[in-house]
Amino acid sequence: MTNPANITELVNEDASLISRKCWTDQRVFELEKAGIFGKSWLFLAHESQLKQSGDFVQAYMCETPIIVARADDGEIHASINSCTHRGLPVCRADHGNTKRFVCPYHNWSYAVDGRLTTIPQEKQLNNCPDKSQLGLKKVPRIESYQGLYFGSFDPDIEPLDSYLGDMRFYLDAFFERFENGIEFIGAPHRWLVNANWKLPVENQLGDVNHGPYLHASILPPEANDEIIATGHSVVPRPGHGASFRLMPEDTPWEQVAWGMEGTGGILGGPEVQDYLQTVQRKAIERVGSLRARMKGLTYGVYPNLSFLWSNTSFKVSHPRGPGKVEYWSWAVVPADAPDAVKKALRTNYSSFFGPGGMVEQEDSESWTQQHLGANIDFADDRPFFYGLGLNEEGPHEELPGLVSVTANEFYAREFFKRWRNDLLAVSI
Amino acid sequence: MKETINSRIELQYRIEQFYYREAQLLDDRQFQQWLALLDEHIQYVMPSRFNVQVDNRMRDQEAMLDISRELEGQDSAGSPLREENILHLSMRVQRAYKINSWAENPPARTRRLVSNVRIGKNQSGSASVVSNFILYFARPGSANFTYSGERRDLLTESDDSFKITKRTVLMDYSDIEYPTMGLLF
Repeated sequence: MTNPANITELVNEDASLISRKCWTDQRVFELEKAGIFGKSWLFLAHESQLKQSGDFVQAYMCETPIIVARADDGEIHASINSCTHRGLPVCRADHGNTKRFVCPYHNWSYAVDGRLTTIPQEKQLNNCPDKSQLGLKKVPRIESYQGLYFGSFDPDIEPLDSYLGDMRFYLDAFFERFENGIEFIGAPHRWLVNANWKLPVENQLGDVNHGPYLHASILPPEANDEIIATGHSVVPRPGHGASFRLMPEDTPWEQVAWGMEGTGGILGGPEVQDYLQTVQRKAIERVGSLRARMKGLTYGVYPNLSFLWSNTSFKVSHPRGPGKVEYWSWAVVPADAPDAVKKALRTNYSSFFGPGGMVEQEDSESWTQQHLGANIDFADDRPFFYGLGLNEEGPHEELPGLVSVTANEFYAREFFKRWRNDLLAVSI
Repeated sequence: MKETINSRIELQYRIEQFYYREAQLLDDRQFQQWLALLDEHIQYVMPSRFNVQVDNRMRDQEAMLDISRELEGQDSAGSPLREENILHLSMRVQRAYKINSWAENPPARTRRLVSNVRIGKNQSGSASVVSNFILYFARPGSANFTYSGERRDLLTESDDSFKITKRTVLMDYSDIEYPTMGLLF
């Protein structure tokens, strides 16, 4: 096993040099599981997916399968999807509504909150086991922010509010715009990519820099001009990140309104555009004039939740070992939008991102090629360079956190400093 | 006009020839010529397929396993993988001939087999047609992949040939392990 002392050789002091082994080494991955995925708040589900009691969705916490469900008490519960008897999954559907989860092997049955309710064999036996001790293993901590439910395997983890810290200021800028909240629609698109889980995360944490080059076949040059003129990159707390454009106060509504950046908004016609204009008009009173002018790009919540504001998609990068990622993504729409508006807006995601998207196919190709590059021999003395804009970030009058231009890679350095500290804190 | 067996055979032949020509254009990377086969009002949809909860009330019936239950994106409660019109498809074609479409650099070698062509209702110059396909996809520097699926088309008569007015592509994946679902199927 890697001993923690070696971690400092993987990421140097200012995190401007990142070893190739961070992306490929099985021992590093075991430390990530213990030190990061066992100790962080991990995204489970959005409340819109669990409206009624009995509603459930599947999730993962790292590689561990989780059932997230709303029980009769109205509370959200998260349990490991593995029968206490022989370990089979008790839930096979992506989502649905049920009264119980039944293991197919011997029919042990569980309530949606994870309690074991039935052992069919016990009728024939004299000594019945204590069922209260044999429920599905529960995720010990669950908390939510803005309808986003997170779970943690660490019973002593700090509250979600303080974990998010000033990231809440930026999450609110999106979520608070919508009077009646937002909806995650459908089962997530699940895409297996031969890459390390951290690169999709880094890509969505603040890597605006690749846009005008990797995506030049789709993104018009004016989009990059706008980012250079108005772009901000923020690290509200190491590991989290937000990048956005802060549009001038006299910007016409259609150039600042959420949803108008994609084909869904542009081609959606009067019904879609009137809806988006109304949202934008109310944004000033709902999130204040500063945040009403924010036109988001990428968001990341440590360790592996991403939100692509410009194409309104939430994503989770679930590791499958160091060399594979199961990348989940959802289209997100305002809950109170008419059906036709939701259908138009969801294409802002699917046409460009997700497994069928025109833009993200370039990203997934790069993530795969990076992993090949991280795996080559005779290059261990040539770590990846993360030093662009070193020490050029600083405080800002109005924006909480460390702030800089989008070309500054401090968002990634801050991520890797936290990553290094988390790995140093565990031993396995 | 009363349908005769000869007219049905002729229609079957014409539609199959149309699909063979379409497959050749796509395999030969003549995507701009492929675009000309599309109706300007084409609706191009690829539903997402999800893992459905078994409905106890449907047990013992074929309805329990009906494919339509696992297709997402028909209404606003789900999210299809793709939902495109002529503009999206034109963007994909334009992208293919840019020097920085990195996911196709070098370009993939593809081979499509289209078969099991079933012609359903046809009325006043249009026909509903369902066909199966296998698409072999080999991209240098990457693994090789085989896509399989079903296309549900609405074809409209046009100048002795057809235009594709509607296409729904049902992909047979369990998990998406392909480099992209964004090909021209």
